[in-house]
Amino acid sequence: MFIINCPYCGERDQQEFKAGGEAHIERPKQPTELSDDEWAEYLFMRKNIKGVQFERWNHAHGCRKWFNMVRDTSNDEIKLIYKMGEKPPVE
Amino acid sequence: MLNFNSALKKENQYNDLTIKEISPVMKLIVRGKKREFFTNIGKNLNMILPTEANTSSTNDIISAIWLSPDEWLIFTNNKVDENTNKYELEENLFHSVSKHNLGAVVNVTDQFVMLELDGKNIYELFSTGSPFDFSKFKKKQGSTTQTLLNNIDVIIRHKSENLVNLFVRRSFSEHLSSWINDSASRL
Repeated sequence: MFIINCPYCGERDQQEFKAGGEAHIERPKQPTELSDDEWAEYLFMRKNIKGVQFERWNHAHGCRKWFNMVRDTSNDEIKLIYKMGEKPPVE
Repeated sequence: MLNFNSALKKENQYNDLTIKEISPVMKLIVRGKKREFFTNIGKNLNMILPTEANTSSTNDIISAIWLSPDEWLIFTNNKVDENTNKYELEENLFHSVSKHNLGAVVNVTDQFVMLELDGKNIYELFSTGSPFDFSKFKKKQGSTTQTLLNNIDVIIRHKSENLVNLFVRRSFSEHLSSWINDSASRL
């Protein structure tokens, strides 16, 4: 259990949120020109690192808005939360 | 087909807590971002939609609850005619908002069940099944929240001291009211 600060609603319990996977994955501009391996790389492969990770989260049981989170996966410490469309902080 | 079947068959009374369904009440969900959307809504409602998170606004006839930065729940303060679910306000909003592609107006009268909880033990009841911190909520009249109660999505509005409105989806309402019945009987 931990508290997440929704950029729209304020501090809420983790129970109200759903994790949406890694953030800032860009869709290839010309998908038809990619090989199967490259397409699979974009579609399925995620970093899943132990440490600071950029993630998407959704306030599913509140305002239902998506936002980005920088979280340390080793200790669940939330470093930063910012709205969709905002530039990620420099790593 | 109109569905006004009540989730709570009668007013339930517990230790310092009374629960009843307020029905039928008109409920609309409006969504939009454009400036014209706010102007047209304001003209029709005679009220400005609340833009601050977790708040609501009210006038003599209707109230509006903030749901997200571009979404509000509007409902009548008093009961409406139960033989129809066509409302003048919905028609007016549809013509001034939806038809001009400024936003969306959806009638959710039958989708949501509105309960009224009254008494000193409201927050004791909520604390047995909700992860939300009600300490600030209960001090501020008009504050609202969308949260979970017994893992069911609910919208709660602080109407006045020890009096709240609770909106729940109709399909969950029977389950929620039986949980409330069980939980409130142990307060």
